[in-house]
Amino acid sequence: MDSFFARYRNLVVLLAILMAQIAGLAVQVRHNSTGINTLDPSDPSGVRLIRLWGNAIISPPERLIHGTRIGLSSLWTNYIDLRHVRDENHDLQETVDRLRLEQAALLEDARQGQRLQALLGFQEKYIYTTVAAQAYGSSGSDRSHVFYIDKGSREDLKPDMAVITADGIVGKVRDVFLHTAQVLAVNDATSGAGVILESTRIRGILRGDAVGRLEVVGILADQRIQPGEKVLTAGGDLIFPRGLPVGVVEKVVPDPDRDAFIDIIVKPAAHLERLDEVLVITSTEPRFSPQEEQDIAASESQKAVVPTAIKDQVKASEIMAEKLPGLIDPNLPPDQQPLHDTSNPNPAPPPPQPLHADEFSPGAATTPGSETDKAPAPRPQTPKPVVPHAAEGNGSKPQPAEVSKPLTAPQRNP
Amino acid sequence: MSLLSADSRRDFEIRRYPLLVYGLVPLASLVLQAWLPRVVGRYDWFDLPLVITVYFALGRRSPIQGTIMGAGMGLFEDALSHHAIGVNGIAKTVVGFLAASVGIRIEVENQIVRLLLNFSLSLLSSVIYFFTYRFLLGLALEWSWLTELMRAVGNSLIAIVLFPSLDRLQMRE
Repeated sequence: MDSFFARYRNLVVLLAILMAQIAGLAVQVRHNSTGINTLDPSDPSGVRLIRLWGNAIISPPERLIHGTRIGLSSLWTNYIDLRHVRDENHDLQETVDRLRLEQAALLEDARQGQRLQALLGFQEKYIYTTVAAQAYGSSGSDRSHVFYIDKGSREDLKPDMAVITADGIVGKVRDVFLHTAQVLAVNDATSGAGVILESTRIRGILRGDAVGRLEVVGILADQRIQPGEKVLTAGGDLIFPRGLPVGVVEKVVPDPDRDAFIDIIVKPAAHLERLDEVLVITSTEPRFSPQEEQDIAASESQKAVVPTAIKDQVKASEIMAEKLPGLIDPNLPPDQQPLHDTSNPNPAPPPPQPLHADEFSPGAATTPGSETDKAPAPRPQTPKPVVPHAAEGNGSKPQPAEVSKPLTAPQRNP
Repeated sequence: MSLLSADSRRDFEIRRYPLLVYGLVPLASLVLQAWLPRVVGRYDWFDLPLVITVYFALGRRSPIQGTIMGAGMGLFEDALSHHAIGVNGIAKTVVGFLAASVGIRIEVENQIVRLLLNFSLSLLSSVIYFFTYRFLLGLALEWSWLTELMRAVGNSLIAIVLFPSLDRLQMRE
């Protein structure tokens, strides 16, 4: 027996190691009800431990190399950028102040919109909280389009959180470690995201092909789909919020497996091959920072101040109107109206008289079919012109100066 | 290409390296393999851990050491991916074993031999990976043989440059 192992020890070791790995693979694969084998999405504890070790050993030197490269490349550019930085900083600070106020108003609008949509039964999601992260490494294989970011469970990252850039979606968090996280890129073959074409409103599933291109699959052949059309997230996958840019249609190819279907090759909006800064969407619920809350409160208080001031003004004018004497008292006969009160030393001047009285002149109002339609309108009474003489102090009511008298009786226009 | 008996070649031409080299070179290959694709983009047609596995297996001429090194490198690569752990491990285990077994029997100093060995072992690694994933595990896998061919070419070219550099690290007696 000993001689057998001594003679074939190379083969025995090879077979032992191969068998151990095959046994390890067996516990990672599940046979589902549809008869298809799939990888267990939740790694068994032993497998997770290996991933943890691999990440713990490879990540630190990888981050060191990445940081060194970034540092060296930015050394010169930072020096160039430092010129005029003080003026730029001042300008930017002013811009930030202005934008903060605008942002507060927009947040209010967003909250209001969300409330209204909730009333209407929409399940819309908005991006409220993101964590910026640096992408520093990859899986090292084009068979597995994953990359690593320098934020992990310490920053409250969790699996299935969406990862985006300002240009478009990038992927989703697959595995989270203490200081790092593994992100599955959207161009991986095992990835999937619900998308919609912007103008034709056709929905499909986004995934990667064998060479890492983005493609939308599961679409019936449609002549309306043209290169250049924008592709957006549909929001139905519970990972990516709706409306985020995905890319543009590059070309349409027939589905090799199904006759009536087509595949859409998509040019990604984000630079998936060379990612540096990414954003992880950690919350789609409203959660404002203390500064934002303060800004919103200030904005709301300013809004509340304006109607209050208007109300105060209206109230004051009403009080003044009650205290001031009226020109017409409905309880008094016409000859005793305050307008004819001679005891008032400062009476209100009567309205000026027209040069040519017409139907709109005081006292010339007519009704259709009345006598005044046929007869000339009575000549308006003009008050006797009296030169005001307040200095006399006789208590007489001063009259306005005569402006002119009509030369002829006013005629109604036919 | 001179053929010698396995025992005589092993006795005469086993290469030995400082212990640090055994630790740092494989680690450096794994780190660079994870980092370089971010720099070169989609042109990542190389597999540095495979090249290093072949190099040490050929130099040490020990199938057991080649097997263990291949298994370790493959498992580390699997750990960094999101695929099942063990697929790369199996492929590189076989490659390490075969490279060491071949190294016992043939002269491997020649550049053309190194180039051909790397090319063929790279393709073999891809075939084993594909077979394991598609047939042994029964999983769906998007695959491009053109990419695998390009990777084999890339590995061969890297080996031509890298092997003479690593030869300088061996201990002289």
